[in-house]
Amino acid sequence: MRGKMNSQIIEEYNRRPKKWFYYLLIFIILLAISIWSTSVVHYHGVSEHGALIAKNIFTGIFHPDSSLIFNFTETGLAYLLLQTFAIGILGTLVGAIIAVPLSFLAATNLVPNWLAYLIRFVLMAIRTIPSFIYALLFIPVVGLGSSAGVMALGFESIGMIAKLFIEAIEDLDMGVIEAMDAAGATTFQKIRFGVLPQLLPDLYSILLYRLDMNLRDAAILGLVGAGGIGAPLSFAMSGYKWSSVGAILLGLLVLIIFVELISSRIRKKLAKG
Amino acid sequence: MIKFENVSKVYPNGTKGLTDVNLQIDQGEFVAIIGTSGAGKSTLIRCVNGLNDVTSGRLFVNDTDVSKLKGKDLRKFRRHVGMIFQSYNLVPRVTVLKNVMFARVPDMNLFKVIFGLFSKEDKLVALDSLNKVGILDKAYIRADQLSGGQQQRVSLARALTQESEILLADEPVSALDPVTAKEVMDDFKRINEELNKTILLNIHHVELALEYASRIIAVKKGKIVYDGPSQEVTKEILDEVYRKEG
Amino acid sequence: MYDKIFKPKKIELLTGEVVEEKVSRTWIYWIIIIIIIGLSVLLTNFDFSALSRSGLFLQKLASMLPPNWSYFDKVLPPLLDTIKMSFFASLLGALLAVPFAILTANNIVKNRLVNGIIRFIFMLARTLPTLVLALIATYIFGLGTFAGVVAIFIFTFSFIGKQLFEVIETVDMGPFEAAEALGVSPLKAFFIAVFPQVLPTYLSTALYAFEGNVRYAAILGYVGAGGIGNILNDRVNFRDFASVGMILVSILVTVMIIDSVSALIRKKIA
Repeated sequence: MRGKMNSQIIEEYNRRPKKWFYYLLIFIILLAISIWSTSVVHYHGVSEHGALIAKNIFTGIFHPDSSLIFNFTETGLAYLLLQTFAIGILGTLVGAIIAVPLSFLAATNLVPNWLAYLIRFVLMAIRTIPSFIYALLFIPVVGLGSSAGVMALGFESIGMIAKLFIEAIEDLDMGVIEAMDAAGATTFQKIRFGVLPQLLPDLYSILLYRLDMNLRDAAILGLVGAGGIGAPLSFAMSGYKWSSVGAILLGLLVLIIFVELISSRIRKKLAKG
Repeated sequence: MIKFENVSKVYPNGTKGLTDVNLQIDQGEFVAIIGTSGAGKSTLIRCVNGLNDVTSGRLFVNDTDVSKLKGKDLRKFRRHVGMIFQSYNLVPRVTVLKNVMFARVPDMNLFKVIFGLFSKEDKLVALDSLNKVGILDKAYIRADQLSGGQQQRVSLARALTQESEILLADEPVSALDPVTAKEVMDDFKRINEELNKTILLNIHHVELALEYASRIIAVKKGKIVYDGPSQEVTKEILDEVYRKEG
Repeated sequence: MYDKIFKPKKIELLTGEVVEEKVSRTWIYWIIIIIIIGLSVLLTNFDFSALSRSGLFLQKLASMLPPNWSYFDKVLPPLLDTIKMSFFASLLGALLAVPFAILTANNIVKNRLVNGIIRFIFMLARTLPTLVLALIATYIFGLGTFAGVVAIFIFTFSFIGKQLFEVIETVDMGPFEAAEALGVSPLKAFFIAVFPQVLPTYLSTALYAFEGNVRYAAILGYVGAGGIGNILNDRVNFRDFASVGMILVSILVTVMIIDSVSALIRKKIA
């Protein structure tokens, strides 16, 4: 069996799986889609105007408008950033309030399949509607301003919070619940000591993660008049007030980094338990 | 031929890996290095192909001073020295054949490497190596689906594909059960006898070392305390090598 | 420090040993959270009474159904644009992330300075909200899909880059060392020994990014960065809600298809 005739080797060589055709096919398909998609890129070249703007934004970042920064009144940067932050927090909260019960209804280990899939479909539909549509829908209801932003963010978050939370529910260790059953626990006790300790850390983690993303979205909702820093940013840009733009961008950067640092520290602590 | 001339290695944190090692190993010898953990067995072997660098002294492999090699030259040199590791070091999700063909990569250009375009000759040489260690039939199976002993054989096949004259092995059978370990040691012996390759291996299993190697080198605290034929190894020598210091 | 203010309770066990039970900090966390929420409500002037008017919301929603089916042929081109935008930008982002991730993985490239600079670039790219980037891009590159592509590209690049280098750093370096012992250069060694180990995660992440990008691209149109957001915004302004409904339905169907295909591919890779 060892060190035998060459013919055995040639035989083995011929046995090799001829996967290359399959890979070539995949490659061609990808290439085709890529070429098709490049048609969307109309590069007009960075016009002189555009290059000027880029330069201006750059200078604006390095010479931010200090009157904005140090203005601690309602029109100042700090207030607007805090407002953006607040919209993010409340939005996440609203999202959680609606998403959590729906998630329980969509978990296949808790409810019959048909119900779970129905709710999941509804969740997917909710998730597809962009946040600014929600904002536009809510403005007539709650008026212009931050409240609309909160509701819009809230609804947009439902999708992702629900998706992650459903996963967490389905990962539940039912063994613990069974053991409690065997020990004679009441339903309330089972939930309080069996289910919640498993789910809550996951929930907090999900919410923090979502908060992170909502903050970024909150920034832009201002564009639809939903409060926060979006509107001033947009005005500053269309008014070519580059130092203001710079100040706002810097402030936004600081806010997001700050929240991210805190949230990742909290998430680490949650993971360690 | 491998020649150590007053080789010492001191680690950056001050630990002495090797102290004043003098050795000559001729082509075709089967040498086993024994000693306690941390004595310097691994360090010694890894100096031969430059995975560890030498702090002082000179190390010649067939007239090339390994201690002076760097970068591209070092890589070119390494093609002529095969190495087997304790944990086989195969790429798990890749087939056995491909793992063996990695020995041919230094001659291929980057593009071919990225897309895994090995030539027919590459495949034939690799299949031949697999045949030499008796696992030709496993060529197209994913490496992580093999047993430990089989994986070590794949790694032997890879080293054989290098067509190097020297084979280094760092604890090659430590992760295997006794029966499989003997099978792999049998492979080493065959390769040594049929292909006249120099075998330099580390092993902490003394009986296997005495049974297979013709020459034993015992290392203690970075120094060579015995270097001679395996038949002349006495119980006293072994006690001295493995004795725990106060 | 907390323990100094609220001294732990001392419990004496039957064996005579004394064990300290720290006072639970949970309630103070709750207080902090409630304060934050309260402040947020103040800052946003949240109008709770408005919730009673939520009937209006459902009414508006209802006006979107039944959707204006005939509007579909107007929807298709921008929809395809959106898909193209996401695909192209995701692909570019995914491809370019690879060399940068390699450079910043501290087990492959050991130069701390290089590692640090690239990580900083990744962080910067990730931090700015995509919409803000898109907005800026429309000013620099003009309105239209190119700005959208730029924005999505930057986000995908940093997202995949971060995931990738984190995975690379956790990979088993044994095969890499074996490749080096074979005389293979570090770059080639990366491709034969490390990349096969990270490939499933890489593809999975790239698909996930693409999925998200398609959804996001729909929004980008709102700031004028091309795609379906454009006509969406347009129809909303015209109060043509039936058409809005049509657009949303199209987006929904597209997203569903892409998500299922992507899930299928991801199952095959794992």
